[in-house]
Amino acid sequence: MKNTFFLLAIFLFSFIGNAQDADDIVGVWEPGHGKAKVKIDKIDGKYYGKIVWLKEAKDPATGEPKVDKNNPDESMRNVPLRGYRILKDFVYQGDGVWEEGTIYDPENGTTYSCVITMKDENELDIRGYVGVKTFGRTDTWRRLILKKK
Amino acid sequence: MKHNSFYIFFLSFFIIGFLCVNAQEDEEDYSIYDDFELENDTPIKRYAKPTISGMSPQKFIGISFDAQMPYRYEFSNVTFPESAGNGFDVDEENPNINEQGTAKFTGGLRFNTNIPIISKSSFVWQSGINFMDTRYTIAEAPNAPRQPVLLPDGTQARSLGQILNEDGLRNINWTNTFFFPLNETEFIVFQSQMDLSGNYDLDTFQSLNTLRYSAAAVYGRRVNDYYRWGVGVARTYRVGNLNYVPVIMFDWTSENRKWGTEILFPARAYVRYNFSKNALLLAGFDLEGQSYRIDDYSINGNSYEIRRGEVRPKLEFQAKITGYIWASVQAGYRWDWSYDADELDANQDFFRGFFGNQEFGMVNSLENPLFFNVGLNFVSP
Repeated sequence: MKNTFFLLAIFLFSFIGNAQDADDIVGVWEPGHGKAKVKIDKIDGKYYGKIVWLKEAKDPATGEPKVDKNNPDESMRNVPLRGYRILKDFVYQGDGVWEEGTIYDPENGTTYSCVITMKDENELDIRGYVGVKTFGRTDTWRRLILKKK
Repeated sequence: MKHNSFYIFFLSFFIIGFLCVNAQEDEEDYSIYDDFELENDTPIKRYAKPTISGMSPQKFIGISFDAQMPYRYEFSNVTFPESAGNGFDVDEENPNINEQGTAKFTGGLRFNTNIPIISKSSFVWQSGINFMDTRYTIAEAPNAPRQPVLLPDGTQARSLGQILNEDGLRNINWTNTFFFPLNETEFIVFQSQMDLSGNYDLDTFQSLNTLRYSAAAVYGRRVNDYYRWGVGVARTYRVGNLNYVPVIMFDWTSENRKWGTEILFPARAYVRYNFSKNALLLAGFDLEGQSYRIDDYSINGNSYEIRRGEVRPKLEFQAKITGYIWASVQAGYRWDWSYDADELDANQDFFRGFFGNQEFGMVNSLENPLFFNVGLNFVSP
């Protein structure tokens, strides 16, 4: 009985430990270009990231909030970029790696396969690729925290 | 009844919950994110991206077939100025024509790769092996030059028409491109290339001491997402023989992303029209060329090389087939820049430029036919 309890405790702790690792990605991040902030959340066991801040929030041509004007789906071209989910469907694979998701680049309207690797608690390597991981590019995102007032 | 009440309660719970979550999401106060900042105050270095918006897709792997329409050619006597060392050369203005004929077909398979080895915001290294096979079908008497081709030791050799007809010309090169962003705006591109070109077979490879080296360095500024420019220098074989030329980069896309330019002069220059995200048209030219060693004429430790350089004004249509596979169709005019030959001392190349007085081994001319090229590419949109 003691052994069973001990094993159960180890199982529970390891599960909790893994869950904590997986949720380390949750938070607000800044892509390498610094033009946006992206908030990553966990929804139904998967991880999603949406744009929550834009350095240039308004389209200089229209003076209106920026929309997803390069989306290949015409019906989406009036959707505001702020609030847009650019990271979708990531599943934690262990060892600080999230896969099976996609990243959307609003600058060219293309969705790429994507793998996220946590370099350390404050840095993510985001690799968007086509087909296989070799054909891709890695960008480093940095964690942002709420400024103390 | 009990069950029904339970289901209604259960369903209501989820509907209300769902609405609350969505309401929360819709009403999110984004202004709080103004106050999010990096944990430490270390300045972050930002880097220029290696492309601008709207450009044609980057080709990672491509296979194509190139074909030129029939054209007439005239080849001069084959002379060996380096071996003879006595001014035994071709009259450049009025060369003695030793061979005339028609190339009914010129072309073949091309295979290109450009694989990212390291691809990060701060540095990009792409590397690729490229292969170009050029086969010739000579229509008229390739075995009947006016005078037999004699090597300096008196041995008779095949005529150039016969060599082209039987062997064709091949080029294999290894190209490496490095993109160094210096900051958010400035960047340097460095490209190096090693070419092995000649009438060799893939099973009887040409000596590696006949490798020819090209390189280019460009300093550029990515002014915004729609425009970048650059200037630099190149050591190139694109006009056949060795040259040192200035390089100008000018990539631009209109705000509506319909029009643009993709210029890396003198290698290529296009005006681009984007029909949609999945189809575009390029109008412009390519400058193509290599120095091809002709093994039959390479004697006394020298390398006898055809300096093939051609300008290709063309239209190129590119369209997405499926996923990341795009097709390309090109049609244009193959304008002969050079098909002359040099005999190089012990495989060492020289720079003739505009003022060099090195003697030609052959002075040849080709008529200019139409050409077509169809290909499939694995691309990054």
